[in-house]
Amino acid sequence: MNSILEIANLGVVFSTESGDVPAVRGVSLRVEPGETLALVGESGSGKSTVALAALGLLPGNARASGGVSVGGTDVMGASEAELARLRGRTASMVFQEPATALDPLTRIGKQIAEVVRNHRDVSRQEAAAEAAELLRRVGIPEPERRASAFPFQLSGGQRQRVVIAMAIANSPGLLVADEPTTALDVTVQAEILDLLRALAADSGTGVLLVTHNMGVVADFADRVAVMLEGEIVETGAVEDVLLRPTHEYTRRLLAAVPRLAVTVTGSGGGSGSVVGEEAEGAPVVELRDVSVQFGRGPRAVRALEEVSLTVRAGETVGLVGESGSGKSTAARVALGLVAPESGGVSLFGADLRKARGRARRALLAGVGVVLQDPVASLDARMSVAECVAEPLRVHRRGMGAGERRERVAEVLELVRLPRELARRGPRELSGGQRQRVSLARALVLEPRLLVADEPTSALDVSVQQTVLEVITELQAELGFACLFVSHDLAVVQQFAGRVVVMRGGRVEEQGPTMSTLLHPGTAYTRRLIAAVPVPDPVLQRERRERRLALGTGAGA
Amino acid sequence: MDTLLYLTRRIAQALVVILIVTVVVFGLLHALPGGPARGILGPQATPQQITLFNHDQGLDRPLPVQYLYYLRQLLHGDLGTSYTLNEAVSRLIEQRLPKTLVLTVLSAVLGLVLAIPLGMWQAVRRNKPADYVITTLSFVAYSTPVYFLGLVLVLVFTQVLRWFPSQAPQGDTVAQVFADPVALVLPVVTGAASMVAVFSRYMRAATLENLSEDYVRTARAGGSRQRAILFKHVFRNSLTPVIAMLGYYVPVLFGGALVVEQLFNYPGMGLLFWGAAQSSDYPVLLGCVLVISVATVVGSLLADVVQRVVDPRVKGGLA
Repeated sequence: MNSILEIANLGVVFSTESGDVPAVRGVSLRVEPGETLALVGESGSGKSTVALAALGLLPGNARASGGVSVGGTDVMGASEAELARLRGRTASMVFQEPATALDPLTRIGKQIAEVVRNHRDVSRQEAAAEAAELLRRVGIPEPERRASAFPFQLSGGQRQRVVIAMAIANSPGLLVADEPTTALDVTVQAEILDLLRALAADSGTGVLLVTHNMGVVADFADRVAVMLEGEIVETGAVEDVLLRPTHEYTRRLLAAVPRLAVTVTGSGGGSGSVVGEEAEGAPVVELRDVSVQFGRGPRAVRALEEVSLTVRAGETVGLVGESGSGKSTAARVALGLVAPESGGVSLFGADLRKARGRARRALLAGVGVVLQDPVASLDARMSVAECVAEPLRVHRRGMGAGERRERVAEVLELVRLPRELARRGPRELSGGQRQRVSLARALVLEPRLLVADEPTSALDVSVQQTVLEVITELQAELGFACLFVSHDLAVVQQFAGRVVVMRGGRVEEQGPTMSTLLHPGTAYTRRLIAAVPVPDPVLQRERRERRLALGTGAGA
Repeated sequence: MDTLLYLTRRIAQALVVILIVTVVVFGLLHALPGGPARGILGPQATPQQITLFNHDQGLDRPLPVQYLYYLRQLLHGDLGTSYTLNEAVSRLIEQRLPKTLVLTVLSAVLGLVLAIPLGMWQAVRRNKPADYVITTLSFVAYSTPVYFLGLVLVLVFTQVLRWFPSQAPQGDTVAQVFADPVALVLPVVTGAASMVAVFSRYMRAATLENLSEDYVRTARAGGSRQRAILFKHVFRNSLTPVIAMLGYYVPVLFGGALVVEQLFNYPGMGLLFWGAAQSSDYPVLLGCVLVISVATVVGSLLADVVQRVVDPRVKGGLA
């Protein structure tokens, strides 16, 4: 009756150059004051479109039908002026990407004050004072001073706090949060979720939370609506949907979510957990006391400090840590892309720092690389076959065209890509297919080491699962070692035999995955693990309480 | 980084660039066909006359020594003597430069004052009839050669409508130029035309790019109206690339002045340059080149400094 948000039979169609694309079909939902409804689904399911429609923020090429009402106002029929009065006062929004959500040239205090002054007739000084107060409420230290900071001077977590401060400036009845923590580290994510939860509880705000992360859902939502291809396929209380899903798609989605095995119940263990045994093989790559510094002078950044790690033949080592911990830099050192300032790097027993010219090329030919973004890492002007064949052209110059074609077909088959895709361009493939092309290219030279830097972070969970399965199978078949860089502890736990936890350019701790992640030796790792939300609302509630009792970590 | 330190460093860099320019200009002076002697004494000069001239002018000394000598002269404001006008090049430039600056600065200001709102307006009305009309006119203005556009303007406004005279103000001083503002209209408009075309395109593109940025959506979600978003956020963000562009536009402005001054018989540096080119008056030509080069370096220096003021990220070393 008094729902703060009521969406009835919403349909959204985007008109594009290639015709009309329906994005949302017959979606109906409500959000009551004080409750959180999570809208979950994979990319392209239409969940963000629903969120934008709630505030009348759909882009110009979208046509919407059905009804959307926020606090009694009909959003669909409202004029721009009426919508402007609604937005930021009755309903407001928090976006995914804190890096770009703020005007880079305007001080944050002024941006918050703008929202205040949009809706209330207060003086500039009063608005500035309110902005500082809001900054304090969202947990920014020294709010009066920080109000005059520009967005680039803040960390990602702080920027998201500023966006939240803007959203709550006029105590809205509805808060729409579109993937509010996806771009953030887990510890920061936990803090932002705590903040949102406290703010919503304080003022009885209804929250529409859009996310793909089932852990976040379990942590935050009261009710869940699952979207698939523009339609809601299942709605219910969070315990029901996450623990006793009825729709087949929800079941599949939940099964694909990598679960972090935690000590609390002893039964939450991941399905394909690799037993953590100390590998006995010869070292494939070895970093000894490696230090790396970027830039020079007072502005220099120490990216790595005395980092030592070893990957042995046939084993998978997970390199985990938050953004800025140096995990990608360490992988780049192993690839010979970053020269260490001090320390030693040996690749297949040879000193990578001393190898030059042909010898260096031969060494590096033994390493395959898969990077995070398959769109950016494949040349859009090459066909799939050309992409995969490129390393052969560089390192196997004597190889004939026919032989090369054969090898490419072979590798594409290995990664389970249909032969007929070979002549397509990377942009014509789906995200998972593209990442398998990257994998094929990495494996075409039969490497002894595969370096995978966040290979599945840009993919949906179901796709992530297939890609990880392919890597695991091929590893068993071909026997390469793998250095697996990831921020996702659950994936690493499932995938790596040993784990190296990095923090601030140093190795925090390392050891067999299971024992290290279940019984971490340092407070930092414990905090990191505690911050990972698990997709089980009952278990997650327990974990959250224990984490809060433990005290939150360093500020975002 | 400290602003003072930045400025010192940036000015030092500019000085180095100017020094390199002097080396090039010096090299060009000495690559003249027959050398400066033949240029001054004319084709009838005997070898004895040439040797004597070279000795008198110090031209038989080693090149590095001559360069240092040339540099010393430059520092004293001595750019040599015109072959044909029998006057110091520095004196000629001193007379003509202010007039050209009047023309180019007025054209640039008029051009920007028109181009920036026009570009923003087009971006807002993207793909509507007004946008198409202005886009078409921009391409016409941009692809029409300046001298042709000037001729058309002269024909329409002096012959048919008789609103403006066909000659620019003829006075020798800036004060005299400003005394006849009506006569300035056509030269300034001609000079501004391509500027409007180019910069309205830049502004349109920059505004469009910024309108699709996330921060615009955030502002909209906070209840800001379109106008406020446009003027408080998008305008400043769109201006930074335009400012950077402006720094590199200085030589184009001088190039435009060359044509405009010729067309409207306005005795500025453009006409000086034109006349010198006609009569192979190399010292004058290279003097002009030096001045334009310095203006370009100063222009991009100023653009950088303004950008630093407008965009805090530049100062923080992020952008």
